[in-house]
Amino acid sequence: MSIEKAVLKASKKDCNTCSTCATFKADNLRHALSRLSGVSKAKVDEITGKVTIEYDTQKIILSKIIERIDKLGYQVEILSKEEI
Amino acid sequence: MREHIRGIILLISLGLFALAGSLISGTRVAYEHEISIALTLIAVALGYRIYSHGIRSLWHGNVTAQLFATIAIFISVIAGLVLPSASATGTAEAVGYLTAAAIVAFIILAGMTLEDYIIHRTRGALEALIRMSPTTARVRRDGAEVEVPIDEVKIGEVVLVKPGDKIPVDGMVISGHSTVNQATITGESIPAEKAVGDRTFAGTLNEHGALEIKCEKIAEDTTLSHIIQLVEEAQEKKAPIQNVADRFTTYFLPIMAVLSSSVFAVSYFALGFDVALARTVTVLLVACPCALSIAVPVAVAGTIGNASMNGIIIKGGTHIEKLKDVKLVAFDKTGTLTVGEPKVVEIKTFSNHSEADVIRYAAIAEKFSEHPLSKAIIAKATEMSMKIPDPTDFKTIPGHGVDAHYGNKHIIIGTKMMETEISEEANQLMNRVENEGKIAIPIAIDKDVIGIIVVADQVRKNSVEAIQRLKRLGVKTAMITGDNMRTAKSIAEQIGVDEFHAELLPEDKVAAIGELKNGSVVAMVGDGVNDAPALASSDVGFAMGAAGSDVAVETADVALLGDDLTKVEYAISLSRKAFSKMKGNIAYAFVWNVIALSLAAFGILNPVLAVILAEAGCISVVINSALLLLNKPKAFTVI
Repeated sequence: MSIEKAVLKASKKDCNTCSTCATFKADNLRHALSRLSGVSKAKVDEITGKVTIEYDTQKIILSKIIERIDKLGYQVEILSKEEI
Repeated sequence: MREHIRGIILLISLGLFALAGSLISGTRVAYEHEISIALTLIAVALGYRIYSHGIRSLWHGNVTAQLFATIAIFISVIAGLVLPSASATGTAEAVGYLTAAAIVAFIILAGMTLEDYIIHRTRGALEALIRMSPTTARVRRDGAEVEVPIDEVKIGEVVLVKPGDKIPVDGMVISGHSTVNQATITGESIPAEKAVGDRTFAGTLNEHGALEIKCEKIAEDTTLSHIIQLVEEAQEKKAPIQNVADRFTTYFLPIMAVLSSSVFAVSYFALGFDVALARTVTVLLVACPCALSIAVPVAVAGTIGNASMNGIIIKGGTHIEKLKDVKLVAFDKTGTLTVGEPKVVEIKTFSNHSEADVIRYAAIAEKFSEHPLSKAIIAKATEMSMKIPDPTDFKTIPGHGVDAHYGNKHIIIGTKMMETEISEEANQLMNRVENEGKIAIPIAIDKDVIGIIVVADQVRKNSVEAIQRLKRLGVKTAMITGDNMRTAKSIAEQIGVDEFHAELLPEDKVAAIGELKNGSVVAMVGDGVNDAPALASSDVGFAMGAAGSDVAVETADVALLGDDLTKVEYAISLSRKAFSKMKGNIAYAFVWNVIALSLAAFGILNPVLAVILAEAGCISVVINSALLLLNKPKAFTVI
């Protein structure tokens, strides 16, 4: 098993005027990602859109995770990626 | 869940500190004022979620409602600590300001926690689907049964499912017989029969028999998993009306900034610093842009979640808005309004031959043919438990019929193949049958017509109800088909559609949809594969029976996972309800804000009342939208 940790930035042109909306969106994204098989940890910052994700590279590759975020309507940018 | 518990613990401690702070003030203990100030400050500090959201958002270029709350609370705290020092009763007033700040923080935090909780509940439909996915499966390995985690099951492996267990994979039954409740996928509660060769879906419930299933798809590739992913994606897709709300909120906060400074300036010169400060704080607290911005996304999530529990996948907010305007629904005939598999419905015999004879000879001649009509005859023979011998030789002439030999008998099937005169009786029967939209197949042995087999497609059992439900909604219905005029007319009359268009080639169907549109919003219902072009040219394309066909689910705007056509009406009426909620919520939130802001600006509210009003406005909108999740199809009696 080899675990990788990636930090991504997911952004979406959307209303940002209150925490309720932000929490709602972050919550949905986090759930969608943590359901992917091979993903062991997913954290989404509701304000910055920073996604921290840990996954087993034998089960899933980063591009699959990015594809999923993209399908949920976000633009994705990779901030960092490291083996842990 | 953990966040909710954390929120509640925070809330309770904030409340306790604030309470302790105000209770201790005025009691006879040493440093009572100092202690009460300290306790209240701790209470205010416990609302850090509000300040951190407000300040961090500002750091990232967003002005939020939380920022206004932060400024308001900050002003109150400063006022509490600094202002009264000049007067003798200083500390008592300080406690007053600080207590107000603590109460405000408490109410906002309570509002945030409650809203988060309700919104989390709109994920309920999705969570229910996710819970349906079994996490383990029993497989047969090296002759032994072992239970393994679901992602260790391999394609092609045999999975064993006991009665009462959930089916863990998509696959094909290779042994056993049972009924399976597929409501998770299709929304239909009547269980489906499953025998060898039938397909099963992961997440459905095996009822009374044991099944052995050859695994075809696992984990993220299963139909259930695709449904979950589609629902997640659909909930993220904005409804166009959201843009209206967004336009309000874009201007909302700048207007608020201007308004609060003007209120401060005007009140300062007219009524003095204290009043000006209190009014400004009140104005900052009463604003509630959140009600505007959250109304639509929560309603979209609630609607799509509700639809998914009913076997309907609406692929985004845009389609909800289109659905509510649908004025006409066009149905494909074969396979949509009808089952699409012809059946033998009548057998007429001549010159002392029995029904069994007629079917037997027809079945022999048709034994190796793949034509749907042949299949209907073979199915009838099998139903009559006949053994069908092979023909000695046979020849199929497409569009005409079959010419075959069996022993020394010459079998001819089909009108156009007949060399002999067909009797008047047979002719009359064939005319009647064809006027009813059925197909008459004459069978002759050695040039002697021994009987006529009548074959017809069956109208689906709830087609009539589906059409009647749409009529009650005021939606017109049409049927489009490649069949001949007579068949089309007969089926259209049986089902009760308003109009029908027959003898259409697939490309003609696209043109027919174009004509039907003619200024009004038209939905089209088809199988999603053969009808893909017509579905695409309609305003809202429904693919029915889409479970198991990824193509159909992908191309449709709305996918009906089962075969129940009444869901078309449900999707439309649910969307109408959803849209009127969205519109109502936006209007309500707008009016609420205008009234609350006016009251605050003229000093009719105090900060605590203001914050209660703001939170009540937001929560009522969230609850109203989330209620869409509980919508249910109405009972209906077919007339």
